[in-house]
Amino acid sequence: MKSLLVPANIDRLEEVTGFVNELLGDVDMKTEFQIRLAVEEVFVNIASYAYAPGTGDAEISCALLSDPKRFLIRFSDSGIPFDPTKLADADLSEEAIMERVGGLGIFLVKKNMDQVTYTYEGGRNVLTLVKRL
Amino acid sequence: MSMNMNLIKHGTEGILQLQGYIDASNAAEVEKIFVDVAGKFDTLILDMEKLEYVSSAGLRAFKRLYMEMRQKHGTLMAKNVGKMVMEVLEVTGFTRLFKFI
Repeated sequence: MKSLLVPANIDRLEEVTGFVNELLGDVDMKTEFQIRLAVEEVFVNIASYAYAPGTGDAEISCALLSDPKRFLIRFSDSGIPFDPTKLADADLSEEAIMERVGGLGIFLVKKNMDQVTYTYEGGRNVLTLVKRL
Repeated sequence: MSMNMNLIKHGTEGILQLQGYIDASNAAEVEKIFVDVAGKFDTLILDMEKLEYVSSAGLRAFKRLYMEMRQKHGTLMAKNVGKMVMEVLEVTGFTRLFKFI
């Protein structure tokens, strides 16, 4: 498993997606798009809420798993405990779309990954995404 | 990531060609341009042929554009939407923001 530790700040997004993409290697465009999307949504969530109004770090770890072939991405931060897997699925009615501020990102993560699991370990939020390749 | 826009004017109708990525790093800037362009046309067509990627931050910019157009009773259309961008619009219900042509 390879890891990247960065300040949880939106201006580091490109560094994070670049790191993940390099470890992902050659996959079809759809899978690459879905992984990029999930990575952005989780990282932006951490950057926006985990330490607000302060600042902190986020650690991103990735590994290719075999049998069946999968890609694992793990995010961890020491911000306020927050389990995004507990969020209800987004309401997709027109009124809800117009009024909603957040929640869409995590919904997209769930829709595009095969597995999303959350644990709180040693004072850290740990969110693990798995995508079948 | 980089984002380029190109605006084609036909009187009260505008075609805004989107190219590249709309993500959290540029969505605020994109939204500002959307609002500016919305103020200039009765009908606005987003040509998404070269839009490769959109995240929830980009969807929020689309929503702002839709609201601006709705407020002035204008029409927001979209064309040439790529497969992956369309999937994001569909799964989030954001297809209802656009008339597809």
